[in-house]
Amino acid sequence: MIEVRGLSKDFHVHKKQAGLWGSLRSLVKRETVVKHAVKSADFHVGEGEILGLVGANGAGKTTLVKMLAGIIHPSGGDARVRGHRPWERPRDFQRQIALIMGQKAQLWWDLPAADCFLLLKEIYQIPERQYRETLDLLTGMLGIQSELNIQIRRLSLGERMKMELIAALLHSPRVVFLDEPTIGLDLTAQRAIREFILEYRQRERPAMLLTSHYMEDIERLCERILIIREGEIVFDGPLAEVMRTHARHKVVSVQLKPGAPRPDLARLLGRGLDLTVLEETPERLRVQAPRDEIPQLAGRLVTELEVHDLAVEELDIGTVIEGLLHSRQGAA
Amino acid sequence: MGRYLRLYLNFLRFSFSRAMEFRLDFFFRVVMDAAFYAVQIVFFSVIYRHTALLGGWSYDQVLIFACGFFLIDALHMTIFANNMWWLPIFVNKGDLDYYLVRPVSSLFFLSLRDFAANSFLNLLLAAALMAWALLRFPGPLDPLRVTLFLALLVNGAFLYYLIHLAFLIPVFWLHSNRGLGETFYTLEKYSEKPDRIFHGWVRRLLVSALPFSLIASFPAALLFEGLRPGLLLHVLGVTALAFAAVRAAWQLALRNYSSASS
Repeated sequence: MIEVRGLSKDFHVHKKQAGLWGSLRSLVKRETVVKHAVKSADFHVGEGEILGLVGANGAGKTTLVKMLAGIIHPSGGDARVRGHRPWERPRDFQRQIALIMGQKAQLWWDLPAADCFLLLKEIYQIPERQYRETLDLLTGMLGIQSELNIQIRRLSLGERMKMELIAALLHSPRVVFLDEPTIGLDLTAQRAIREFILEYRQRERPAMLLTSHYMEDIERLCERILIIREGEIVFDGPLAEVMRTHARHKVVSVQLKPGAPRPDLARLLGRGLDLTVLEETPERLRVQAPRDEIPQLAGRLVTELEVHDLAVEELDIGTVIEGLLHSRQGAA
Repeated sequence: MGRYLRLYLNFLRFSFSRAMEFRLDFFFRVVMDAAFYAVQIVFFSVIYRHTALLGGWSYDQVLIFACGFFLIDALHMTIFANNMWWLPIFVNKGDLDYYLVRPVSSLFFLSLRDFAANSFLNLLLAAALMAWALLRFPGPLDPLRVTLFLALLVNGAFLYYLIHLAFLIPVFWLHSNRGLGETFYTLEKYSEKPDRIFHGWVRRLLVSALPFSLIASFPAALLFEGLRPGLLLHVLGVTALAFAAVRAAWQLALRNYSSASS
């Protein structure tokens, strides 16, 4: 559904020194720098797949989405979405895609959502029956039938986002671009949006490209992720693969028996192992260690302490990705 | 075509529902525009105290020309002006994004989406002034020529919009468009005067590259001076060329659209 080959985007940005002198100089001679927002991206997204696009602010996620939605032209490379070059903006392509941006509203602020949906019905030439069925389905799934006739500006942020989702999906798109759809929402609204996206994917099987700063969005929705750092894709694979290749550590948690003597950690852990103590209380101990040292550590803890329970945990995915985003070596 | 008409009817519906919410603004606009019309009529009345003819036209003819311009101005204010005002803001804030993913002409959408329903009464007022100026005209007026004159005024409103848009499109490259915007409002004053008062290269410019004189003055000339096919073709040809040029410039500008950071 989405095929991307060597896609890149450069922006030419003016640089100006601070102050009046800098302003005068820039009036006469302007210094331009080239910012490589996206560098030769290669990937694909299949039907029914939700691909997560993960990266820090300014990494190039939104630029990538905007190129694929046909909003901006690339500087190089090629992409096909449902067989079309997005930036040529053929009508057939535009009828098959949807864009939802958590930070930008598409609905008329002073009008009820029902009116905005009627306009979209005309824009996408949705037959009356299909329009009614889709609207009933989507409002039912999101539980906002009763808010349809309320002005958008009088709705809560969560309700507005739900309306934005309906607006984007009314024409049953085959490709959906979701740019931070849960940004700024409370936890309940975030969860509702995530569940809706999953259910919608299950039912309609569009290709979806999701960007989000909330790791829970990525964990709950995406089987596969792209990690983008300074415009460059540094990882493309299943979420689990990130853990396997980039999480070099695991965490051992030990629950001690009630009344057990306090362990001498310096003696216990200080013998030839590369360890970090994350938590230490009279009842509980959490220690981070390299993956290959976990058996030895677990054995030592069981042997030398009065252990009630022991668990080996993977590092939190957010921590691993954050490490990957911020380290040039790409390891956590 | 039918689809675009239905879309436009939706824009109208939305605009009227919105305008009714701001009643004070609704009435304020009527008062403001009525004052503008009065100032223009007084301006010509004062001039005609000192001369019998201006650019070969009598006071009664200039009154029809001026009312023609009021009608064009009201059409522009009602149909296009709000959209033109928003366009540079949309470009600079990256708010064109949603318009570019829809399967409709982005130029149509961005030029017509915001119908100024609160200027609609001014349109009626301008139409009433036009009717008054035509009815009080002392000589006979051929109904066919009056119909053509009115049709050319509508064409004039469209041409005015095209010229305005041509001055706004550079915002895609310049980002700040204030200078060009001010230039447009300075130049558009030429459309409020009969074209005959200009001579030489200024006149040539006003009937070609900056066709302000074709907006209201040429239609009035066709009304007063008989049906001249050359003049009619000139007006329609320049309008068609301007439309083609603006569309091409729009497509080029969209290639340069950089949206905005999230």
